[in-house]
Amino acid sequence: MKRVIVVGGGIAGTIVANRMARMMPEELEKGEAEIVVLDRNEKHTYQPGQLLVPFNVQDPMELIRPERELLDHKIRFLHSQKGEVTKIDPANHSVVTADGLSHSYDYLVIATGSHLRWDEVPGYKDAVYSPWDFESSLKLREALDQFNGGTVVINVAKLPHKCPVAPMEATLMLDDYLRRRGIRDKTEIVYTYPVPGIFGIKTTNDVMIKIFQERGIKIVSPFNVTNVNAKDKVMESQEGEKIKFDLAIGVPPHTGADVIGKSGIGDKRNWIPTDKFSLRMKDHSNVFVIGDTTDIPISKAGSTADFESYIIANNVVNEIRGNGLKKTYDGSVFCYIATGLDSGTYIRFNYAAPPVPPPPSYVHWWGKLMYNKLYWTVTAKAIV
Amino acid sequence: MYIMIKMSLKIYKKLDLTGQSCAGPLGELSGVLEEISPGEAVEAILGDEATKKDVVAFVTKKGYKVVSEKNEGGKFTLVITK
Repeated sequence: MKRVIVVGGGIAGTIVANRMARMMPEELEKGEAEIVVLDRNEKHTYQPGQLLVPFNVQDPMELIRPERELLDHKIRFLHSQKGEVTKIDPANHSVVTADGLSHSYDYLVIATGSHLRWDEVPGYKDAVYSPWDFESSLKLREALDQFNGGTVVINVAKLPHKCPVAPMEATLMLDDYLRRRGIRDKTEIVYTYPVPGIFGIKTTNDVMIKIFQERGIKIVSPFNVTNVNAKDKVMESQEGEKIKFDLAIGVPPHTGADVIGKSGIGDKRNWIPTDKFSLRMKDHSNVFVIGDTTDIPISKAGSTADFESYIIANNVVNEIRGNGLKKTYDGSVFCYIATGLDSGTYIRFNYAAPPVPPPPSYVHWWGKLMYNKLYWTVTAKAIV
Repeated sequence: MYIMIKMSLKIYKKLDLTGQSCAGPLGELSGVLEEISPGEAVEAILGDEATKKDVVAFVTKKGYKVVSEKNEGGKFTLVITK
């Protein structure tokens, strides 16, 4: 019997586990293979939806569901202490959970994700609201409700972070939100970003920056935040800028999971060295890495994990079957970009082909909302 | 001199930045460069000359040094340190 362990039951872990289960139902039924998902949390949060909460587009309660309901019934799911992984040991093909048990595997998929490090920037947690955090997105909704004008700073503290297009989306939805409330002319929106421009891919940056200019959004970049004075509401940068604000919305620094660092298998920010084509952990051929967890220069986004899941599921299942059929990841990513509260565009690209977003339209906004809604019944369950 | 400096450096990470990524070459590099300690360097592979020029200008402005540069078939490999 071959055992596949998936560490992490977020978007990436759930999709890849379900895709493997759908690919080898007979092996699972006959007991020739087993898939086990381990996660501390019993609940599954659809994090991309948090971006829409502050603007009253998304009911936050719709973003959380039991993980067990999402997983194929043939998958074993362990949570709480039984599912909290405290050590990953690729040399001995095993992982250890918080209840003290060691679990051996034939194949391991690491999907431990990216995590917020608010404390890396002094004052950030006290002064900055972030849709990247569930509770903070709720607080931002309240803060926006009470906001009557002033300076709003949008900040990206450090790259990379999850949902790379989302800071631009937050900015443009905020612009639309303030116009609809009739207070846009009383508000200055300042977008700050760690490298020149507003986005890393030039072809996309060129299109999006024009939209920012048309909307009267001020851009300050490069801007690498060093600290935030919560009392005086001032954000400072390495470049020597000081921006006084009335409301700050930001993306805290990200790293990989603590267990990656404690297990000694990551780089200094706990991202796991991963081959960009095979998605195997470097030097460990039976370990795959998916989604935000990798160190590969690609977007940390749900769609990335979805595309990667096809490659990993295919390669794990075909290795179990011994037929040698292998696929490689081409760097595919697809992201909708909200450009207001009823318009959107998108980018679709891979390692070789840079994206140019089409003109914003209602169709792409509708597509974004539908993609979010279909997550629970289609994407997470690996139906397509 | 350049060769001696390069040989004494430990490559902390090799980054293949020839493909598209949302953070872009500057974003991917800036996050990694902040992590290097004295005596460490980052090796970056870049897909074209325009990107190479942007990267050299960006890292130099941020106070890093490009200690070696290699052109192989239009792809550029830079070694960057503090």
